[in-house]
Amino acid sequence: MTAPAISAEHLARSFGSTRALVDVSLDVPAGSVCALLGRNGAGKTTAVRILTTLLPADGGHALVDGLDVATHADQVRTRIGVTGQTATMDELLTGSENLETIGRFCHLGAAASRRRADELLHQFDLVGAGKQLVKHYSGGMVRRLDLAASLVAEPEVLFLDEPTTGLDPVGRGEVWASIRTLVAGGTTVLLTTQYLDEADRLADTIVVIDRGLVVAQGTPEQLKASIGRPFVRVALAGADAATVERVRQLLGREAEVHGRSVSAPADNGLVTLGEVVAQLRQLGVPIDEVGLELPSLDEVFTTVTDHSANAGRMATTQVDES
Amino acid sequence: MSRVSILEQHRLRWGLLDAYTATRRFIIRGMRQPDVIFGSVLIPVIFVVLFGYVFGSSIKIPGGNYRSYLMPGLFAMSILFSSNNVAVAVATDMTEGVVDRFRTLPIARSAILIGRSFSSLLLGIPVLVVMVGCGLAVGWRAEDGLGNAVLAFLLFELFGFAMGWLGILVGLLAGSAQAADVIISIPTFLLGFISSVFVDPALMPAWLRVIAYWNPISALVTAGRQLFGNAIGPPPSGVWSLDHPIATTIGLALVIIIVVAPICVRLYSRSTR
Repeated sequence: MTAPAISAEHLARSFGSTRALVDVSLDVPAGSVCALLGRNGAGKTTAVRILTTLLPADGGHALVDGLDVATHADQVRTRIGVTGQTATMDELLTGSENLETIGRFCHLGAAASRRRADELLHQFDLVGAGKQLVKHYSGGMVRRLDLAASLVAEPEVLFLDEPTTGLDPVGRGEVWASIRTLVAGGTTVLLTTQYLDEADRLADTIVVIDRGLVVAQGTPEQLKASIGRPFVRVALAGADAATVERVRQLLGREAEVHGRSVSAPADNGLVTLGEVVAQLRQLGVPIDEVGLELPSLDEVFTTVTDHSANAGRMATTQVDES
Repeated sequence: MSRVSILEQHRLRWGLLDAYTATRRFIIRGMRQPDVIFGSVLIPVIFVVLFGYVFGSSIKIPGGNYRSYLMPGLFAMSILFSSNNVAVAVATDMTEGVVDRFRTLPIARSAILIGRSFSSLLLGIPVLVVMVGCGLAVGWRAEDGLGNAVLAFLLFELFGFAMGWLGILVGLLAGSAQAADVIISIPTFLLGFISSVFVDPALMPAWLRVIAYWNPISALVTAGRQLFGNAIGPPPSGVWSLDHPIATTIGLALVIIIVVAPICVRLYSRSTR
């Protein structure tokens, strides 16, 4: 088994009293594409900023290409490419000059930097625009140039933070095509997105995060397989690991733990839900919420990322914590 | 040779290369901002006309021509103004995504800021050339030989380099370009005017005179006037910085660079937005 290209364990980060990341762990095998799926404010960008050495974590640790991002930031930076949400290209330089400057900063040398810039302009269909100042570019062109900039030094691991947010459908299609080309070349990619279909189209594995916690993960197929089958989900906000484990065992072989909640298929629907509630009461487990989830294709993302919005649609039973 | 020292050698070479790349980038950028260039050339020219003729006609300097007295002061003013530009530019950079791009590249942490300060110095040279041209046109001369004139300009550039780091510091701390502009404009304005740049402080009220005499800009301008062989007026007794203006300027510039530059690099590499 090869070591994962990205490995994060229990990452946590707060900004003042706001807990952006509570507990996020993920592994991305080398050469695969992982999508970090979540709403605005779910903690996606914070996770990426920690993994790309831009932000120290408060808790947990992370390895990129086997190197600790906190203690070996300089070496990590020689192995990663990053494209953030905000444009990082200099508007007063041409596309070609921007890429060439990055090449020089990556110590490729002047001549090789120019060659690499030409290659990338070609690859990203920007040859005609290479000699134009970036301020004359369209949004999709800037994003593609930014993407090209993160590839100048041919990184092992590429981080793309919402690479298509704010783009029109044409621009989005262009960026998707570029990402597919890279993946075909064997680059490991971690991308964040708010769009399920984007994750579905590009990713080998999807990690859904919400409010700083991992709420679901698996291949697109696994996540889809879970759709259409009712699930019972038990939220255990204040519980310790042992309690979470007891509940997992109670819910049977197919039960899965996502952060502080446990879910399992409930093939008999409300009957299963009733049984589970009775058993949990007997055990005396302090429970926040027990619910039956009936996800549809459109709702899978909503279901795992927003409990309160689901309360109306779900057959929810409040259990007091005594 | 140990592995560590080879690594260190590499690091130094790369660090220098990174600083060169950054300087190059900022110079290309600077040359594509004609409005900024126009402004930084125009303001000193306006000053030459305004102070050389409008106010200068009623300002008397003992033992010399006012416009000869004024020109080294205006050289100093153009240096002060260039630190404004640096502060605003750094503050703008810090609010844009470009900083994140640089901070994920394997470059020396100091490179971007060194590039910023050197490019500001180099971009200031054409402005200084225009100023010298204006000076020569209005009758100012370097009367103490070319060698001393070159020394004077080197002194101005050294001080300008130090002021550039102060500009970077303000830019890093300000939080926005507008804030940076306000924070740095007020002190540079006061430092420029409460000094011997435009008038002889001897005629100021006592409390203001003390400030004007000890103002480092006065030392810089006095050093310039000495080296250019321009009229200085009788030096006030008991003000060490004006009795030793060259030593004061060099010393102060070095202290500013040594103290402020590392603070800037730390602020820059820690900043997370």
